[in-house]
Amino acid sequence: METFAILADAATPADFAAARQQMAFTLGFHIILASIGIGLPAITLLAEWRALRTGDRVYAELARRWMKAAGVLFAVGAVSGTVLSFEMGTLWPGFMDKYGQVFGAAFALEGIAFFIEAIFMGIYLYGWDRLPPKVHFLTGIPVVIAGLLSASFVVTVNSWMNNPRGFRLVNGEVTEVDPIAAMLNPNTPVQAAHLLLASLMVCGFTVASVYAVALLRDHRRGRPLDPYHRRGFAIPFTLGAVCAPLQVLVGDWAVRHVHEHQPIKFAAMEGIEHTGAEQPFKFAIFEIPGALSLMTTFDVNGVLRGLDSFPASEQPPAEVVRIGFELMIAIGTALLAMAAWWALAWWRHRRGHEGLPYRPWFLRIAALAGVAAAVAMEAGWTTTEVGRQPWIVYGVMRTEEAVNPSPGLRFGLYVVLVVYAVLAVATISVLRRMRRRPERERPAARELEVVG
Amino acid sequence: MSYPDIALGLILLGLSAYLLFGGADFGAGLWHLLSRRREDREVIEHAMGPLWEANHVWLIFVMVMTWTAFPPVFADVMAAHWVPLSLAALGIVARGSTFVFAKAAPNRVYSWIFGVSSVLTPYCMGAVAAVIATGGSSWQSLAGLYGGVLTTGLCAYLAAVYLIWDGRRLGRAEAAERFRTCALASGTVVGLIALPGALTLGVESPLITASALAGVVSLALLLLRRFLAVRVTAALATATVLWGAAGLADLDLHSVAAHDAVLQVVLIALGVGALILVPSMAWLFVLFQRAPKQPAA
Repeated sequence: METFAILADAATPADFAAARQQMAFTLGFHIILASIGIGLPAITLLAEWRALRTGDRVYAELARRWMKAAGVLFAVGAVSGTVLSFEMGTLWPGFMDKYGQVFGAAFALEGIAFFIEAIFMGIYLYGWDRLPPKVHFLTGIPVVIAGLLSASFVVTVNSWMNNPRGFRLVNGEVTEVDPIAAMLNPNTPVQAAHLLLASLMVCGFTVASVYAVALLRDHRRGRPLDPYHRRGFAIPFTLGAVCAPLQVLVGDWAVRHVHEHQPIKFAAMEGIEHTGAEQPFKFAIFEIPGALSLMTTFDVNGVLRGLDSFPASEQPPAEVVRIGFELMIAIGTALLAMAAWWALAWWRHRRGHEGLPYRPWFLRIAALAGVAAAVAMEAGWTTTEVGRQPWIVYGVMRTEEAVNPSPGLRFGLYVVLVVYAVLAVATISVLRRMRRRPERERPAARELEVVG
Repeated sequence: MSYPDIALGLILLGLSAYLLFGGADFGAGLWHLLSRRREDREVIEHAMGPLWEANHVWLIFVMVMTWTAFPPVFADVMAAHWVPLSLAALGIVARGSTFVFAKAAPNRVYSWIFGVSSVLTPYCMGAVAAVIATGGSSWQSLAGLYGGVLTTGLCAYLAAVYLIWDGRRLGRAEAAERFRTCALASGTVVGLIALPGALTLGVESPLITASALAGVVSLALLLLRRFLAVRVTAALATATVLWGAAGLADLDLHSVAAHDAVLQVVLIALGVGALILVPSMAWLFVLFQRAPKQPAA
């Protein structure tokens, strides 16, 4: 194609930086919405299931409200996802031109899963008063499954970018494309598991934190704790707490995988300057001699490669990667501690010792857990993505080869920043208003007499 | 038929679906913006309710299919037209979110942004489509302007035609009558723009004749108040414009198509996916035509 030849020139540095920032920003925004979009239907179904089993109105009410919030967030998530598919081309045409076909099948599958999710979301939302309760509950299950699948397929593409497989480069031409091999690259299972658990944690802790605030208000006003708030807290918090220990295991697997396949990213994450044996485990100001070698190779004398063994032109911004990684580990550990506390309290409660820990100090920390989990997710994402630089396809294509050479990309970034800022504020304000006026809503649909 | 041919056919089918469903949604946004009556706006909001979020899936489908099956075409189009396409994407964001926002928490600013972005998005996409079809360079050219206006007009016309039946189904006969007027007016205007344009651009295909015929029949059906039949002919009149434009572009896609191994996997996946998608989509449509069991207080 003719106009494409101009892509041989690099974009101006400012525009290149703007393209990366725009992608990082819109993806970082979408990832939070997508996480809640995956998790919220799951906790809605848990509540609906409890409502069906027990006939408890509180659970039914929770399910109804969460479903409405899920509808709003799904909509915003769908449009922010649409923007990302535009940006794949408007920002990274060089990447799409050359490798679009290699990972395209994963996106096609993602598209199908997302389509199924959207349709069943519609059925679930609009079927509330139109379907028998049990059938309605069942229509929610495809929403959850399709949500998990569609996220997995998206991650498949990112796994491929980190561990490219399923094609051969002959004189710069992509040949022998095997889309299945590209999808089933060794990175896919670990990265998908890590992201899905992170999504459920973000959603669980975020929703729980809303009810933690409500419970704190009950305390402050000296009222008995509202059963609605208690259950609204318990369901999502338990989901987050169950995922937290699993995430530690998967995280360890992920780090080992990075060590094996992307040694330079590993060196940046762990802050290894020089290649050598007996590498210390460093965390913030702490240092345990030999521990990193021991943890990674099961041998204190294990040799680990440092940043100095790679040419400077292939090194990622190591500071950013390391700080992102440490932040994720620190928050993950804190969330694990909270999960353990909740589990212990639950166990004692079941044995008749005392109530669940709805005490103010616990709730204050729990209120922060939602934001913390989201920060951990962004930090982990930063580690993965910045750690991959300067490659867009690890070891194969550099990011600057992929960027749109058009001047003025940075103006696109400014517009996007403004629109998304407004979108974020509006989303939060709408969710808050929905919370304030729960059952007095009177949408147009209800006013109209349906005669057809 | 080779794999690239099937892929192109599917892309055009996806685009048609997006034009017919998504386009009607954009058009409804335009009428929402222009309409001064609360009643009409309620009919519009109610008609758009259930399906709008599924609509962008068509667009995502088209984009994914394009970059998978014809990667250089996707890269080329997106890189060259990044400004109007970014505007369209932002329009989609603004529109989609303000629609749900306005429903959850009514507010005048939301509905205004909703209306404006409903017009901006089809305009930008139509402009890009026209530039691609005519081999032009910029969306600000005359061809771009023409494509933008024509596409926006087609969306408005489709929406008005669909809304007549929705208005009647909802027991709003007066609103339905006003939408009929809108449909007659916008249909006439679009026809007056479309035909000379097609002649000037040299689109000499049976498709354009079919479009013109379907358009004339639609106007007649509107006059005769055959509101279900006109939904079919209006859709036909609109979709044929798209297929005519694709023919005009004279695409030779074989040289830039992805490897057969890729297309094979994608087509199998789509086939299996359709087995789930088609019945569930039919169910959603049916469900929405049904009234709630007990009207919630």
